[in-house]
Amino acid sequence: MTRQTLLGLGFLSPALLAVMMFFLLPVVLTVVFAFTNMSTSTGILGGEYQISESDLRRLPAVGVGEDAVALLAGAGYAVQPETLAQFAAEFGEDRAAELDKLHGGAKFDDQRAMERALKELRRNPLRKVRDRKTAADLFRVSILGQRFATRDDFALAITDLGVPERDRLALTEAAYTGWTFTTQNFELLWELPATWRYALNSVIYVVLTLAFNVGFGLFLALSTFYLPSRTAQTFRAIWFLPRILPPVLYVLMWQWLTWDQGFISAMLRPFGFEPINWMRHTATHAWTFIVLINGCVGASLGMILFSSSLRAIPETQLFAAQVDGANRWQQVRHVLLPQMRWPILFITSYQTLSLLTSFEYILLATDGGPGRQTEVWALAAYHTALSNYGGNLEYGLGAAYALALVIIGILLSALYLRFFKFSELVAKPRIEQ
Amino acid sequence: MNTKGNWMLILALSLISAPLVIMYGFQLIDSVSRPAPGGIIPQEWELTNWRFLWTSIDSARPSIWRVTFNTFVFASATALLVCAFSITAAYALSRLNFPARRFFLAGLIMLHAFPTITLIIAIFIVLQFLGLYDSLMGVILVKAALELPFGIWIMKGFYDSVPWEIEMAGVQDGASRFRVWRELILPQVKPGLSALLIFSFLAGWSEFILPLVLAPGADAQVLATYMNAVIADDTRPDYGLFKAIGMFYALPVIAVYLLFQKRLMNIYGGGTKG
Repeated sequence: MTRQTLLGLGFLSPALLAVMMFFLLPVVLTVVFAFTNMSTSTGILGGEYQISESDLRRLPAVGVGEDAVALLAGAGYAVQPETLAQFAAEFGEDRAAELDKLHGGAKFDDQRAMERALKELRRNPLRKVRDRKTAADLFRVSILGQRFATRDDFALAITDLGVPERDRLALTEAAYTGWTFTTQNFELLWELPATWRYALNSVIYVVLTLAFNVGFGLFLALSTFYLPSRTAQTFRAIWFLPRILPPVLYVLMWQWLTWDQGFISAMLRPFGFEPINWMRHTATHAWTFIVLINGCVGASLGMILFSSSLRAIPETQLFAAQVDGANRWQQVRHVLLPQMRWPILFITSYQTLSLLTSFEYILLATDGGPGRQTEVWALAAYHTALSNYGGNLEYGLGAAYALALVIIGILLSALYLRFFKFSELVAKPRIEQ
Repeated sequence: MNTKGNWMLILALSLISAPLVIMYGFQLIDSVSRPAPGGIIPQEWELTNWRFLWTSIDSARPSIWRVTFNTFVFASATALLVCAFSITAAYALSRLNFPARRFFLAGLIMLHAFPTITLIIAIFIVLQFLGLYDSLMGVILVKAALELPFGIWIMKGFYDSVPWEIEMAGVQDGASRFRVWRELILPQVKPGLSALLIFSFLAGWSEFILPLVLAPGADAQVLATYMNAVIADDTRPDYGLFKAIGMFYALPVIAVYLLFQKRLMNIYGGGTKG
């Protein structure tokens, strides 16, 4: 390797490391997680082994034999050397010796029977209810409700219990509380009617916002192009701010504009309109404001890019058109717009992808409401995996939602790479300008 | 040249800009006044909306100064990391010849267009594995990494515009490529670096989703999540208070904008945000 190669790779390596850690790994993991049932209840780092009372009923269905289930349900409390030793340590040797003499080797089905035996000790009975409960627990040999950290521990416990060999595998699998691999996320996505709603919502959102962004961005760029530079700058500053203001504050301003004691309601009250929340009243209200909120941010990007490509068009062309008697509209239509084809195409394709996947402004503005009418696909992924009212966060299902977007993202960005000469389209920043 | 047409244009632009101007105006006014009940006209000028600066607005909330400090640490650490990683990587991609350079360039362009927000669920789980969940450190690393493709892209643009002759001259005089980079090229891209620093700082300062998802605890709260929590927790909206907090939050942004307007306008032109 030459020194230049070493220097090049060395210079690149910190960035490469970051990209691997937070781009490549997450892309791979999104695929992996989409095929799991990972959720809050299964945990993330792997699970334990546990059979609870309520699990018993579903065990026959997963292939555990009836006698094994009976064994699990029945085995309760046993007076054995090991359990007696523990009892002796806490309640005295004498008492343990007496219990051993009376009930040594006995088994009790439930806690009440065990407690009765402890109560009826002749020489030193346990009189306090609390003591009896604590003591009874010491004799508990049932594995119901008990947590086993590893597969081996659990295997040992069920072997001790006498679960037949043929049932052990199914039982172990049923007892696992961690996440497992499954394809049910995709089956669920396919079957749920809500999925199609979210997809449709995304399409509505992208198409409407995009139309607003491009149309409005073009209008702003073209109109400020014709104005004296001072006036143009004022308007550009007004439209640049939405882009630079923190989203939380920017959306708050819109909330103030639209809430039921806000600006719009206050302005319309003298005309006999009931005060309503203009952003959340109906789905139409919500969509209108979502498009406006996102649109003003997107239009400012369009404005900046279109303005800089308009400035690059030689003025002589406009003079020539003017000499030929073209009015402004004709100049725009026949001279300027045809030369804006590439920037328009670029903004359109670029924003399609970012709008499809962004949900920040919708989350802040309506949070998908009213009902779930403005819930777009990306927001559904967020709600499923990272924030919902039920409290059980379904990482696996959320990853399945996200996977669709990741695939679209990779395909589209690869497509852009082929069709656009990005280096020419993204205006090279020159500070010294 | 066309005065009547210009007036029409200005009128049309003013009309469509009116909602934004109204929102900006009342953002300022409402933060230092109290409107008449049920109305919007300011009735009394007062500073009680700014009470969050000197008292705790409710018991469970961390102090605003702590939160501001967190935000500052978050934004500046992100900006420094992005710049540190970008200046070397962008130089390698722009000027150095090494195997698979084309591949890395194509990768950069793809990453530049790739919507990173789709990865947030997986990143959330990666941070849990690493034990960096709910810490400022974790969010800083993630934000810096996600801003990196953009940073490298911008810096590469600056390196590309440095004339090759400077480098040739240095190499002719017997300096190593590393020395040429450090002593001749870096000073040339300083303006670009400072623009990237400002841009990344603002990006960190405004970031909302990442802290919301990756560091929801009180210890790592930043102004975006603080403000969002105040708004979400209130049963009766107190827009005076919200707007004052918003004003406090946005002051550095507005200051930076006024100072570096032109530079920022240029860098946003190559920008990525929605």
